[in-house]
Amino acid sequence: MGFEIKRFQGDVDEELICPICSGVLEDPLQAPTCEHAFCRGCITQWISRQPKCPVDRQAVTASQLIPVPRILRNLLSRLCTSCDNAPHGCSAVLKLDSLASHLVECEFNPKRPMPCETGCGLVIPKDELAEHNCVRELRALITSQQEKLTDYQQELAEQRLIINEHKRELALLKDFMRAMRVTNPTMRALADQMEREEVVRWANSLSRAKVTRWGGMISTPDDVLQVMMIKRSLSESGCPPHIIDDLMENCHERRWPPGLSSLETRQNNRRLYDKYVCKRVPGKQAVLVLHCDNTHVDEHMMIEPGLVMIFAHGIE
Amino acid sequence: MANIAAKRVKREIKEVVKGGEGSLKLEVVSNSWTDLLGEITGPPDTPYEGGIFKLEIKIPETYPFTPPKVRFITKIWHPNVSSVTGAICLDILKDQWAAALTLRTVMLSIQALLAAAEPNDPQDAVVAKQYIENQQMFTLTARHWTNIYAEGPSGVWEFNQKVQLLLEMGVDEHKARVALSTYNWDVEDATEQLFS
Repeated sequence: MGFEIKRFQGDVDEELICPICSGVLEDPLQAPTCEHAFCRGCITQWISRQPKCPVDRQAVTASQLIPVPRILRNLLSRLCTSCDNAPHGCSAVLKLDSLASHLVECEFNPKRPMPCETGCGLVIPKDELAEHNCVRELRALITSQQEKLTDYQQELAEQRLIINEHKRELALLKDFMRAMRVTNPTMRALADQMEREEVVRWANSLSRAKVTRWGGMISTPDDVLQVMMIKRSLSESGCPPHIIDDLMENCHERRWPPGLSSLETRQNNRRLYDKYVCKRVPGKQAVLVLHCDNTHVDEHMMIEPGLVMIFAHGIE
Repeated sequence: MANIAAKRVKREIKEVVKGGEGSLKLEVVSNSWTDLLGEITGPPDTPYEGGIFKLEIKIPETYPFTPPKVRFITKIWHPNVSSVTGAICLDILKDQWAAALTLRTVMLSIQALLAAAEPNDPQDAVVAKQYIENQQMFTLTARHWTNIYAEGPSGVWEFNQKVQLLLEMGVDEHKARVALSTYNWDVEDATEQLFS
């Protein structure tokens, strides 16, 4: 919708008036053939009702509307207008093209956000500053936050309940599957597949790790301290329970494949390390080299379901 | 939206005043820009010449994206205007409305309609039939209505006599006039219709 004509200094040429809203053209567009110009807002609204020029009824669609010529834009931008906030005391007279930037900063804007300086620090529209009462506002804020908090707590409790129920149901289903698997061979294949997929899903959920110093590898980790901590971290990251024990066994060189099993073979195969797709063990200086991520690696460098490599340092 | 409508109406009232056409008048009713009262004079060399016709103009909230609703308040005998309700059959007030049209152009169009009836696209079938079949009778009737309802110059003396005749029989004056107009001022036919 165009600008109120009364805001402009002097007479505004009839050519600069929108025939729809009768204000001075705002962000104008014109019809392609007859070249009648309108405010963008006005003409879009009209065309959504009737796809024809409001002046001469020539057919025109929204996509055919084009920007008005530069000369018209220039004439518009040269018009001098008062500020939107003139009723609130702003006496600025501006060229139409600088009105938008002025409005952003106009200190007479009654809705200009102002920080309260009497202590509460809330940012409020200028025209509400006089009526502003820190205690009342803060109190309202606390009340609304309290309400939200209560809602969230309630939601949390509900979600917990639901999760517990799901967990129980899942455990029951797993038991059921185990029982079926024992009694039915096709079931066994299906269950194996599901387990494989579970591993792949978990593998995809972990972020990639980069080993910057392969020399930091600990081939004979301390069972109690290091291994238990890694296991807990794996478990928390959602490691499928049917492989976690195997994985943890595979963090010691005694279980590693032939290509890694001794210091000598490791040194020979060192250049192959970069082929490994490694996953991060969350929060630990350790990586997972899962079989499902590393089907491209030579067999003598890989075992099922994967390797855990603990490092002294050098994991990113 | 209401904002555009109000702005336009204000400007258009000024436009009519400044337009300098003595034949048009436009003013607000009870300080609301949604209800306006228009006035047009009958065009010269028509049976409406010398008459002043009042128009009820209602501005919808969605103006100017939708046309104003206009009807004659003053009773008028015209093929494209209902002699009962004053409803006007004019394309620009319906599907041919365009947002750049103004109340001034609308009133001028209605004035033009008075000068050039479209009997093939009638609003009032009775009037249109008379217009087509007996144009002279139509002209006299329209002039008579202009005289009675629109302060026009006096018309056929005989018509007033006939209305008076029915009036004495206890018939409502307007009803009598409608019946007589419908039956080409044949008192017998009109009476038969009124009392059947």
